[in-house]
Amino acid sequence: MTFSEKIYRSAGITFPIIATLAALAAAGVMDPYLAYVATSWVIAGMLGLSLDIVWGRGGLLSLGQTAFYGLGGYFGSVIAINLGPVTGNTLIWSPPAGAAFGALCAAALGWIIFFARMGPLQSTILSYTFTLLLWSLTQSFQLDVGAASIGGDNGLSNIPGMVLGFGQNAEALGPVAVFVAAIVIAAMVYLLTRVLMKSTFGRVVDCIRIDAQKAELLGYDVRLFQVANFAYAGAVAGLAGALFGAWANYLNPSIFSVQEALLVPIYVLVGGLGTLAGAFVGAIAIGGLSYWLGGGAVGGQTTLILGIGLIFLVLFLKNGILGALGDLWRLSLPDHNSAARDANPVAIDPDVLEALLKDAAVRAGPAKILETRDAFKRFGGVVPVNKVCRTFQPGRPSSLIGPNGAGKSSYLKTCVGIYTPEAGSILFGDGEDITRVPIFKRVRRGMGVKNQKPQVFGDLTVFDNLWMAAYARTRNKNAATEISEKIMGMLGFTKQAAVQASVLSHGQQQWLDIGMVLCLAPRVILLDEPAAGMTNEETRELSSLVRILARHMTVIVVEHDMEFVRTLEGHVTVLHQGEVFAEGDIDSLRADDRVLDIYLGRRAHV
Amino acid sequence: MGTALSAKTLMISTALALLPAAAFADTKIAAIFDLTGGLNIYGIQQNNALQLAVDTINGQGGLLGAPIEVVSYDAQSEQSKYIQYSNTAILKDQVKAMFAGLTSSSREAIRPIVRKANIPYFYTALYEGGACDKQTFVTGSSASQQLSVLIDWAVKKYGKKIYVMAPDYNFGTISAHWIKEYAKQAGAEVVGEDFLALTITDYAPTIQKIQAAKPDFVVALPVGANQTGFLEQFAAAGLKDTIGMVSTNYGSGNQQVVVSPDAGKGLIASQGYFQPVDNPANAAFVKLWQAKYGSETPIVSEAVDVWNAVHLWSAAVNKAGSADSAPVIAALESGLTFDAPNGMVKLEPGSHHLRQNIYIAEGDDKHSFKIVETFPDVAPTYENDKCDLVANPSLAKHFTPESQ
Amino acid sequence: MEIDYLATVLLSSLSSASILLIATIGLAVVFGLMGVINLAHGEFLMIGAYTALTTTQWGIPHVLSIPIAVVVTMAIGAAVEILIISRLYGRIFDTMLATWGLSIAFYQLAVLIFGTVTPGIGMPHYSFKIGAYSLAGYPLLMIVVAAVMALFVYGLMTRTVYGRKARAAIQVPEMAQAIGIDSSRVNTLTFAIGCGLAGFAGAVLLPIVPATPSMGFAFVIKAFLTVVVAGPVTLTGSVLAAIGLGGGASITASFLTSVAGDAFFFLITALLLWLFPMGISAKWRRKM
Repeated sequence: MTFSEKIYRSAGITFPIIATLAALAAAGVMDPYLAYVATSWVIAGMLGLSLDIVWGRGGLLSLGQTAFYGLGGYFGSVIAINLGPVTGNTLIWSPPAGAAFGALCAAALGWIIFFARMGPLQSTILSYTFTLLLWSLTQSFQLDVGAASIGGDNGLSNIPGMVLGFGQNAEALGPVAVFVAAIVIAAMVYLLTRVLMKSTFGRVVDCIRIDAQKAELLGYDVRLFQVANFAYAGAVAGLAGALFGAWANYLNPSIFSVQEALLVPIYVLVGGLGTLAGAFVGAIAIGGLSYWLGGGAVGGQTTLILGIGLIFLVLFLKNGILGALGDLWRLSLPDHNSAARDANPVAIDPDVLEALLKDAAVRAGPAKILETRDAFKRFGGVVPVNKVCRTFQPGRPSSLIGPNGAGKSSYLKTCVGIYTPEAGSILFGDGEDITRVPIFKRVRRGMGVKNQKPQVFGDLTVFDNLWMAAYARTRNKNAATEISEKIMGMLGFTKQAAVQASVLSHGQQQWLDIGMVLCLAPRVILLDEPAAGMTNEETRELSSLVRILARHMTVIVVEHDMEFVRTLEGHVTVLHQGEVFAEGDIDSLRADDRVLDIYLGRRAHV
Repeated sequence: MGTALSAKTLMISTALALLPAAAFADTKIAAIFDLTGGLNIYGIQQNNALQLAVDTINGQGGLLGAPIEVVSYDAQSEQSKYIQYSNTAILKDQVKAMFAGLTSSSREAIRPIVRKANIPYFYTALYEGGACDKQTFVTGSSASQQLSVLIDWAVKKYGKKIYVMAPDYNFGTISAHWIKEYAKQAGAEVVGEDFLALTITDYAPTIQKIQAAKPDFVVALPVGANQTGFLEQFAAAGLKDTIGMVSTNYGSGNQQVVVSPDAGKGLIASQGYFQPVDNPANAAFVKLWQAKYGSETPIVSEAVDVWNAVHLWSAAVNKAGSADSAPVIAALESGLTFDAPNGMVKLEPGSHHLRQNIYIAEGDDKHSFKIVETFPDVAPTYENDKCDLVANPSLAKHFTPESQ
Repeated sequence: MEIDYLATVLLSSLSSASILLIATIGLAVVFGLMGVINLAHGEFLMIGAYTALTTTQWGIPHVLSIPIAVVVTMAIGAAVEILIISRLYGRIFDTMLATWGLSIAFYQLAVLIFGTVTPGIGMPHYSFKIGAYSLAGYPLLMIVVAAVMALFVYGLMTRTVYGRKARAAIQVPEMAQAIGIDSSRVNTLTFAIGCGLAGFAGAVLLPIVPATPSMGFAFVIKAFLTVVVAGPVTLTGSVLAAIGLGGGASITASFLTSVAGDAFFFLITALLLWLFPMGISAKWRRKM
């Protein structure tokens, strides 16, 4: 790695540290009034960070971050009002209390959104509604908690400022000291977030953002990760809210208003979606702009300018400041994706594969049987899976063929769990009933699926794609690295380890997808038209792969390509109109008139 | 004897020597109002009134020999801006007095800031009452002040059964409390109440509930433009003929301009000021106002509240001989009076609220009002009762009747 | 519970549901046909209301000001589609954010141009008596207006050539273009129709809801929730959702407080989204 590249990779740490030190230095010479205003920018930056965690990393546009900001603010401030006088110090009370309450509320809302598997639009609208509902309710909500008096629209007054010292005579910090405190807290929160997002947790969250279904097909419980990410962001927002309460000494329902909520996506977009540090850049840019414009005629139209600004940001500056800078910098870095052009055609070494599979069997156990009994799936008037009874065993590949609309893919999806059957049952392994079991649990029990279109994480490198799959299985970083390297070697992708998956050709992506499934060490593997879009040589390699796989696990292949099916030398089932029409080996079926009928559309019974 | 006399002469001459020095320092005041955004109907007039008052005083020689300087900020109808600009005015501009805010929440945001900085702050709008703070002075009328005379008058005119329609936040809930209090005193009864969220546009349920309760009159406190829809629906359902309608805030935001003539005719409003008030001070004031700002928009009570506040503060400065906080606050607590457009007003020393006339006006079908009754010299009894800042200078509270 | 009180509650709840539906239909059309969530829908409603208000102030009768309002909002809607929306197809969150920015900008422009106090036009003084209760007539008329509007839009979308083109252009734009449908023109027209329906709503509801810059905001929350709860079969789904949520909220407000009515609306919405994550009509097989 060149020096430039090293800096680029650690830019997320080095530049924020430099910025923090610069800000602390500036605080020494800063005018107290500017320090006072700048503190609000730093707090806003934290609020923006919470949105970037949920949106930039998690993939959900949440318009509810100000809800957790306000809730954390109120809760932390109530605690500070009551317990501050006990210790003198308020910083041990309000930020942690705000963070905890923010996390709690976010976990509750997140549970509703993610466990109900709501669509992205519904989730966003629900988060927006939550904020508006809070705004409406808090205007008439009055409650006295000890010394704290929440007065509805009149808000919560007498919130103590930031007090660092202990004891009865501890004084609140002055504006410059408050600014320094805010910077220190913000820096700690940012670093913690960065560590979290670089860890395996953050990497899984990234995968979920890129393709949630694929992440689930690797065996990750997507919902848990999403809720955890959302709750963490809620904690960050709640902490920011508590700091805001201490800064303004006053909170009121306007914290839940539309104008406040509008600012947060603007901060994130200006700074750069997904960059984490961008939220701070955006908040300081917007805050600074507002400060320099002052309160005059132009400043008075801040909301109008922000509204128009948001439109322009969305249309033209998708990446924000940091994003654009990063793009420019990347132009001068060595391009790893060029290795994609040097890829050799895939050549599976049978011995290597056998060794891998024996290894997998040792770790994951023997191959399992998949059986469906009277599986029945309907969509309104269409019945793509009509009481199909099949048993699939290891030894030889099992193929499913049939004309278009026969229900082959639907049957596969029912076995995987993408569709839930209305009737019938699916049994796995030792007769375990998995009919109602969610997808990720089936994957963990040993089911591997390769869908028709290649499903890879485009933004990740080849190695990372395989690693995420292997980690899902082993939950051990070293084991995952070992497995990924072996599979990568088997596929001949060693030189392409650092290539982004989106740059690979269609066929290469198919192979990568297959590799990812193999990393899971499945006991039953379902392949939906794996040969689609492959060249003749690749199809030959695939056939050899499938036959070797079938010796170690149960293999079910849905296919159109008759030649390919013939090379598999396995058992073949013909589906027609959702039902099992015929079965046997390929040659006898090809000679069967009835089968030819349904393919060619001859005679009445088709 | 000789030395005492010469000591006294020394003191006087020193004072005289210092006086010009103080007099030549410009006095700066802050004006923070909502010039843009949803509340600008009030904010623009408040700001205009302040400018007019300052120009008038400056035209007469200024304050302590020098003109008053105004730093003006637009709070854009946003809470966060009040906090920001109050701090700016204090930290950066170092103002001697602040005139700001419309909503109670803006006042509550500003109070701790001016308290810390110890400068006099004037809150210049009608509100639910109960603010009690050494630095805060209120020239707007309080809900108890308005309702004390309105309810009594309305019961005598319409009958003893009252229905309350109020917005669902402090102003509404506290006003409802006072209505029940004064109803009891007048021998009347509140037969029903409905609190409406500010975003509601569907008034049919309220109108049905009113009809079910069969009141003699309704006390309506419509806040925000949405709620004028209530008055239209009420009139359209033909209820105005049988049920009276009174309000303490209708007209304070020129709602009578918005409401259609049919719906506005006969509505009763009660406030500390209406433009049609007939006295020499108001005639002069209106003339001055219209010369500078035109006659298209009626003057709202909040504008006169600001005018009164500036003049009272300026009188206090003159009385104290200095613009510094301690002497000015002491002067403000000395029982100042002022010949205001809404009659003679007196700043109550203990409660820092304004004893003023309360007018009852009836809407006509030309988007305007006709004064039907004047209650002179109404005291803010609740505030006088609860809040005595001369005896307890360290009080800093917002009294609400429910939290007793 | 007296029978006439019950009858008035039912009638006025139906009227509330109709008012909600009138405000929502434009949004349902745009979302159902284009998959675009137009967060500025409420502001188009406001533009329609102000247009109708201004033209009535110039002396034109209210009934005639309604078509003028429709034309104005359609024109502005078309401009917005060409300049902004058309560049953001497929990017659902970006469209939401851009239209959100637009809504704030429109709101502030309205405050600048019209100020916050403008004379309203008042409601025609017709009232019905049911037993001891009297109901204002104009809100009840809205029930008829809503029904006519829904039928008109349904017919437009399913029975006319334009409707079929519109549905084709959205479902498979390249294929539609391949058979000669100018999908970008059709999309502009569809968005403009959605905005025109919003303008119609603002103008027709003007006697009930006075024109203010923030009026769009009050409606928009409930309109969105209605459309999102409705699901993919947007028109029929929205009718059902409006009756259920809007009518239900109104009934709750009649027997309890209006805050309870609002709470009902939001909580039932959350419940329905929990039970039907993709909307109530996710499994239906109707066209619109």
